Amino acid sequence: MAVGILWGVAEPCQRNQRRSLYSMVCIGQAQTVTFDLKPETEQQISLTDLFEVVADDLQTLNDNLLSIVGAENPVLISAAEQIFGAGGKRMRPGLVFLVSRATAELAGLKELTTEHRRLGEIIEMIHTASLIHDDVLDESDMRRGKETVHELFGTRVAVLAGDFMFAQASWYLANLENLEVIKLISQVIKDFASGEIKQASSLFDCDTKLEDYLLKSFYKTASLVAASTKGAAIFSRVETNVTEQMYEFGKNLGLSFQVVDDILDFTQSTEQLGKPAGSDLAKGNLTAPVIFALEKEPRLREIIESEFCEVGSLEEAIEMVREGGGIRRAQELAREKADDAIKNLQCLPRSGFRSALEQMVMYNLERID
Amino acid sequence: MMTSSRNIDLGTMMMACGCGRRPFLPLGNFSKFGSSNKSYGGGNLVGSCRAVPTKPKEISLLNGIGQAQTVTFDLKPETEQQISLTDLFEVVADDLQTLNDNLLSIVGAENPVLISAAEQIFGAGGKRMRPGLVFLVSRATAELAGLKELTTEHRRLGEIIEMIHTASLIHDDVLDESDMRRGKETVHELFGTRVAVLAGDFMFAQASWYLANLENLEVIKLISQVIKDFASGEIKQASSLFDCDTKLEDYLLKSFYKTASLVAASTKGAAIFSRVETNVTEQMYEFGKNLGLSFQVVDDILDFTQSTEQLGKPAGSDLAKGNLTAPVIFALEKEPRLREIIESEFCEVGSLEEAIEMVREGGGIRRAQELAREKADDAIKNLQCLPRSGFRSALEQMVMYNLERID
Repeated sequence: MAVGILWGVAEPCQRNQRRSLYSMVCIGQAQTVTFDLKPETEQQISLTDLFEVVADDLQTLNDNLLSIVGAENPVLISAAEQIFGAGGKRMRPGLVFLVSRATAELAGLKELTTEHRRLGEIIEMIHTASLIHDDVLDESDMRRGKETVHELFGTRVAVLAGDFMFAQASWYLANLENLEVIKLISQVIKDFASGEIKQASSLFDCDTKLEDYLLKSFYKTASLVAASTKGAAIFSRVETNVTEQMYEFGKNLGLSFQVVDDILDFTQSTEQLGKPAGSDLAKGNLTAPVIFALEKEPRLREIIESEFCEVGSLEEAIEMVREGGGIRRAQELAREKADDAIKNLQCLPRSGFRSALEQMVMYNLERID
Repeated sequence: MMTSSRNIDLGTMMMACGCGRRPFLPLGNFSKFGSSNKSYGGGNLVGSCRAVPTKPKEISLLNGIGQAQTVTFDLKPETEQQISLTDLFEVVADDLQTLNDNLLSIVGAENPVLISAAEQIFGAGGKRMRPGLVFLVSRATAELAGLKELTTEHRRLGEIIEMIHTASLIHDDVLDESDMRRGKETVHELFGTRVAVLAGDFMFAQASWYLANLENLEVIKLISQVIKDFASGEIKQASSLFDCDTKLEDYLLKSFYKTASLVAASTKGAAIFSRVETNVTEQMYEFGKNLGLSFQVVDDILDFTQSTEQLGKPAGSDLAKGNLTAPVIFALEKEPRLREIIESEFCEVGSLEEAIEMVREGGGIRRAQELAREKADDAIKNLQCLPRSGFRSALEQMVMYNLERID
């Protein structure tokens, strides 16, 4: 499934019997999720806390986004509210602001610049536009527990709303007048399209390799995160090695997120996900857990290639992915990328912002502990 | 596929519902600059009522790879002059051929389905009018700057422009639910909505990427403005269907957004890359804008003056959808009954035909022709900053060529 990253719930695992709370963090709504990091320390990471240090920045962003999109037409406002209000956590802009502030110290900046803020808005508009079009491409009815834009307003409004947001983002990007960032973000938009095509071209293809999956995940998810973090560093005017480390951080974090998302599609229930469980597999989108499981289970290949024509075959396949070590190996992959991301942060001075970035990496992993 | 979408009439934005009241199929008629098959379409170019195809010759006009057709029009009976699009573009024919090749390779490199979709739209009678303009203006202004040859930037600009134009057509056809464009099925009719959305997104993305890598901030901002204007134009049009209070200014703004903005950015961009002075680039912008508006008005006139056979689609389809263009806006000033009919959204049988007749009778056509000529005159004036050359003449003739469609 597309780019939506869900702060989901860790299912009560049979091993440690933890009680879990559902977390949904949007502006104005704050709930805490607690995960036991290790039994002995009783540490808790909450997304609220992570973003507390940039809460005002995110509020401003929200206001600006609604006014940019709403100024044009009432129907667009409704479409925008449907998607903006649908449980989005502003994770990408949150990252932009955290990296901005973490790198600003290096450059002696005291405050975020207008460029930093605009970058956050551009990133969120691009992300949102891609979600709207993705739902059209996937013919998805639900996202985060609400109807998708095209389910509610029709395909045409969805196409138009997506186009409008891409157009606005491009215009604001151009008017930032920074060629490096313009090229960076244009590459992302190109990668989105390439990712969609790549995915659509390889549905039910059991010869999909891990490299193909990682490339597709980069195109569809990590490319935007990497451009967000690098762009933030560029506008902080730090040195090239730092901007490059920020790019790698974003890329590894993005890949880690995507892998976790793909695991959750197998481990969570429909209610927890806000959309049907196993929908990636049902559509033939073969993600990390499946690719790993396919190495062990020939029968799985048969079922997938049958495109689940038999009743109950999808459930059988999901079970085989779980049994065949697919989940476990995917978890290892997610941790590997997370470790790389942590390393990428070492060029930053120690600060509350850098800690928040590290905790974001850990937070993601805990979704699958 | 469209039946699954619920179209909500929120008063301000109404998409045409399949309610059965409108008997005509929408046929991609947002009157794009030279794109509909009623104007410069592939091979079906019987123009205005007095134009007669005279001895068509098989000269290569690049309206698709490997397909060549000529159109000739009588300019005025006494002079027997003919302006042919072939001749106009002859001086940049090689440039256009290179463009065609590059476009197919850019789009096709990614995926076979995209190649098919691209061929469907690229091969569907497009005349490369905009890139043709880019190349003509590039060469006309290059002289001023002492350039001998087109630069890579010029060529890339032409490709970017054509990709943006094509992407907008593909999405427009999804928005209109159009089955046909220029006599062929639309991309979404043939391959489905998803491929159409994806193909359009891919082309916009490619265009944006090439644009960014031109590394010229002025042109980047110029073209980004166009993409924004496209979206604004679609929204503006959709929000004002059947709105009889539409003023001429609203119409001109919408026409600018949807048509003239891209043409203006094409011509100005070409001048920028020729590195000429600012006053010249500004005149080229105005030229493109006036030419684009003139084209749009002519397109909108033809929707009333041509027959279904000539148009290749039902006459008056703009009006049928509630898209009120210049002839209608003018006629509304004289005919109160016309307002009634339009506001009824043609629910009565025969009311559309009655409305079309009233537009013709009420001087709407005549005044729209004056408007087209006025914009054309402005466009000609904008060219005066250019040195006299074959390229400048070609640009002037392009203005006249457009007008002759309605003589």
